Amino acid sequence: MQQLLNGIFIGSIYALFAIGFTLVFGILDRLNLAHPAVFAASAFVGIELVERGGLSLWAALPIVFVFGAVLGLVIERVAFRPLKNRPDAHFAGLISSIALAGMLIAVLQWRYGPDTRRFPPGSFPDTRYEVFGAQVTLVQVVILVVSLALMVGLTYMVTRTRLGRGMRAVAENPTAARVLGVNVDRVTAVTFAISSALGAVAGVLFAINVNTAQLGMGAAIELKGLAVIIVGGMGSLPGALIGGLLLGLAEVFAVQYIGSSWVNVIAFGLLFVILLLRPQGLLGARKVREV
Amino acid sequence: MLGQYATTLTFIALGAIFAYSFYAVLIAGQLSLGQAGFASLAAFSGAYLAPSGDDVGDVAALLIAVAIGMSVGAIGAVVLGLPTMHLRGVFLAIATLGFAEAVRVVLLNQEWTGGAQGLGVPRVLTVGMAWTALALVAYWFWRMGRSRYGRALEAIREDELAARSMGIDVGRHRLAAFVTAGAVAGLYGVLYAYYVRLIAPNDFDFVAAVEGLVTAVVGGSTMFLGPLLGSGFQTIVPEIQRAVGVEAGWIRPFLAGLLLLVVILFLPGGLASLLPRRTRMPSGAADDDDTTGLAGRRHPAAGEPVITLAGLGKEYGGVHAVRGVDLEIRAGEVVGLIGPNGAGKTTLVNMISGLVPPSSGSATVLGTAIGSTPVHRIAAAGVSRTFQHSKLFNRLSALENVLVGAHLVSRPTFLRRLLWLPSARRDERAALRQAARCLERVGLTDLAASRAEALSYGDQRRLEIARALASDPSLLILDEPAAGMNHVEAGRLSELIRSLALDGLTILFIEHNVGMVLQTCTRVVVLNFGEVIASGTPDQVAADPAVIEAYLGSADDDADGGPLAGSPRAGATAAGAEAAPPDAVANLRPGAAGTLDTPDSTPRDAT
Repeated sequence: MQQLLNGIFIGSIYALFAIGFTLVFGILDRLNLAHPAVFAASAFVGIELVERGGLSLWAALPIVFVFGAVLGLVIERVAFRPLKNRPDAHFAGLISSIALAGMLIAVLQWRYGPDTRRFPPGSFPDTRYEVFGAQVTLVQVVILVVSLALMVGLTYMVTRTRLGRGMRAVAENPTAARVLGVNVDRVTAVTFAISSALGAVAGVLFAINVNTAQLGMGAAIELKGLAVIIVGGMGSLPGALIGGLLLGLAEVFAVQYIGSSWVNVIAFGLLFVILLLRPQGLLGARKVREV
Repeated sequence: MLGQYATTLTFIALGAIFAYSFYAVLIAGQLSLGQAGFASLAAFSGAYLAPSGDDVGDVAALLIAVAIGMSVGAIGAVVLGLPTMHLRGVFLAIATLGFAEAVRVVLLNQEWTGGAQGLGVPRVLTVGMAWTALALVAYWFWRMGRSRYGRALEAIREDELAARSMGIDVGRHRLAAFVTAGAVAGLYGVLYAYYVRLIAPNDFDFVAAVEGLVTAVVGGSTMFLGPLLGSGFQTIVPEIQRAVGVEAGWIRPFLAGLLLLVVILFLPGGLASLLPRRTRMPSGAADDDDTTGLAGRRHPAAGEPVITLAGLGKEYGGVHAVRGVDLEIRAGEVVGLIGPNGAGKTTLVNMISGLVPPSSGSATVLGTAIGSTPVHRIAAAGVSRTFQHSKLFNRLSALENVLVGAHLVSRPTFLRRLLWLPSARRDERAALRQAARCLERVGLTDLAASRAEALSYGDQRRLEIARALASDPSLLILDEPAAGMNHVEAGRLSELIRSLALDGLTILFIEHNVGMVLQTCTRVVVLNFGEVIASGTPDQVAADPAVIEAYLGSADDDADGGPLAGSPRAGATAAGAEAAPPDAVANLRPGAAGTLDTPDSTPRDAT
C-alpha cells in the first residue's frame, strides 16, 4: 500500500511534467527540449523563494508558475518563432531548444553553483496521515492535489474555453486557423507559457518531494517525460496523465522487486512495447497522411 | 606543433565520425538517437572480443576490433530498424533513444563490461589513424551524394510519398541508411574506446547522443562536409575559450549554447551552407537521342489494355467516395476524367496509382493487380503521376527533381562511384541527358539549376510533369495539371499532352478546365458522386444531359441547397472558363458531398 501511494505521488509529478511536454507537441508539433531546463530552474527558484524570500511553500508555488510562464514565452520567442517557416523546423527547433536549455542551466550554475541544494530545515509541515495503514505526509497530499488540479484545469481550458478552441484549431491546421481569424502567434506563445508553467510547478513539487535540487535533475526526468508522452499517446493530455502514473507505479514496484539498477529499463521497455504494438500510444489518435 | 594539438585534432576526427552516423540518416530525413547505443555495443564488444595487442600487434588488434564493432553496429541497426522503420520523425527519435538507454542500463549491469567502473582498453589510436578513418567515412558520403542511391535518400527526406511514386522502395532505402548509421556509429565507438583508455556505459548516454546530433545539424545535414565542420566547431569553441582565458565554470557552457543558437537561427543549412554549392547542369546537347545507359522499358502496343477496373469502390467510414467503377483504358488513349468537386476523381487515380487501397472491386494496371501492391512496384510497372497539390522535392534543384524521376530507368551508381569506375560516370551522364530532355520537353531548361521551391506555381506544375516523364512511363496520370494556369499556359499544356500521346504514351488526366479537356482528349469520363455517369468522345459527353445536370444542377438541387448548385465554380467551368479557380470553394461545407476531395494536408512529418 505504501508503495502504491509513493508510486502515485511520483507518478503525478511525472504526469504534470509530461503534460507540459505533450501540450506543445500536440498543438504545435514541436518538441521543446528546453522543458527540462525549466523544470530544473524552477526548482532552484522555488528553493530560493522559500530560503531568502521567507515565503511558505504554498506561496512560492504561484510565483513559480508565473516564472515558468515567462520562461515559456522567452523560449518560444527565442528558440521557436524565428524558425517557424523553415522546412527543417523540426530539427532546428530541437537544436535551438537544446541550445537555450544549455544556456539556462549555465545561468543556474552561475547563480547557485554546481552543488545540490535543499529547502531550509523546517519548511515542511510535519502533519502525517494514516491511509489504509500507510504513512502519508501533508506535503505528498498537496503534491497530488496540486498536480491533479492543474491537469483538470488544463483539460477544462483546452476543451471548453475560447483559447482552448483556438489551440485545437491550430493543432488541426495552422493555416486554416489563421484564415479563420485565430491569432496563431498568440496561441502559440500562450501554449508555450502554459506548458512551461506546468513544467515549472512540476519542478518545484519534485524538489519538495525529494528535498533536493540539482542541475542535472531536468536531464534525468527528460527521458522519462519522453517515454510517458509516447506511451500515453503524443499530444494526448489524459494519455500523459495515465502514462505518468503508470510509470511512477512501475518504477516504485521495480525498485522493490527487481532492483534499483534496472529502474530506467522499465520506462523504455514500456516505451518500446507500446511503439511496436500501438505506435499512436495508449490514447493517441493515429494521424493518417493524406495525398 | 602537431603534438601540442594532437588531442584536440583526434577529438575533432572522432566527433566528426560520430556526427556522420547521424548525417547518414538525417540525409534521408530520419531522426535517430540510437547511435549512442550502437557505438556503446560496438565499443564494448570490440574491445572485449578483439585479441590483445601483445599477440597480434596493436594496429591489427584495432583493425579487428573495428571490424567487430562495425558489424555489431550494423547488426544492431537491422535489429532495431526492422521493427521501427515505420515510425517517423520524433517517434523514431524517441524509440531509438529508448533503445540507447536500454543498452546503457543493460551494459551497466553486466560483469564483463566492468559496470560503472568501465573497461580498460589500450590506447592505440593516433591522430593519423583517426583522420584516416574520418577521411574514409567522408569519402563514402561524398561519393554517395551524386549517386542514384544518394539522390533517392534526399528525395525521401523531401517528400516520402512522391519518392514512392517515383519507384523508390522507401523501406529498403531507409533501412540501408539506418544500417550505414549503425556501422559508422560502431566505428566511432571502437575508435573512441582505443583512444580514451577506459570506457564506461555512461560515456554513451543521452547527452552523448544529443551532442552527436547537434554536431551533425550545426555542421549541416544536407552536405557531406557538414559533420566535419560541426565537429570542428563543437571541439574548438571550448579550446578557444580556454585559450583566451574564459575560465568561470558557467560561462563556457553559456557561450557554447549561445553560439549554437546563433548558428541554428541564422544559418539554416548549418555551417556547410557557408560553402558554395556547385549546381550541376546537363552537359552536352539535350536534344541528342542517345539513350544508352538507361534501362529499356517495354511499352504496351496501341490498343492493349492498360487499366482495367471492375466494380472498383472506395468507402471512407460509410461515405462512398468511389462506387462500382468499371473502366477500361487502352494504350494510346488520352482520357480526361472530369466531374464536380468531390466526385471521387482523385480517389480513383489514387487507387490506380496504388496510394489508396480500394475497399471493393478489383483493378489491374499494366498487368499489376492493385490493392496490396506497394506504390513503388506499381511505378516500376510503368505508372507515373503528378499530384493535385505539387509534391516536389523542394530543396533539390529542378534538374535533381527530374533525376529522381529517372530513378527507375537509371542504374545504381553508388558502389561504382566509390571505385571511380568509368561506367558509373557514363550512367550518370545518361541519366542527366534523360533529365535534360524531359526538362526541355516542358520548357524548363533555363531553370534547371533553380531550387524547386523557388519556381513559380505554373513552373512547379510543369516540373512535376517533367519528373513524371523521366521514368519513361507507359501510363501517365496527371491530377489537375492546369490548375492555376492562365489560358495561354493551359493551351501549351494541352499541346504537350497531345504530343506525348503521339509518342505512344497513355494518359489519364483529371482537370476542371472542361474546355481544355474537350480539346485534348480522345475520350472523356465523367464522375459524379463516385459513379461514372458518362463516358465517350468529347462531343458525346458535352451533349450528354446527365453531365449538364451534374454540372449545372437541377431545380431540385437548388431547393436542397445542394453543393453543386450553390458552387459558382461548377457553372464557371461548365461554361468553359479558362482557368479553374483555386480549390476550396466547394470544400467549405462539411457534410456535403463536395468535401470528398482530398483536403489540402499540411505535412506534419519531420523533414
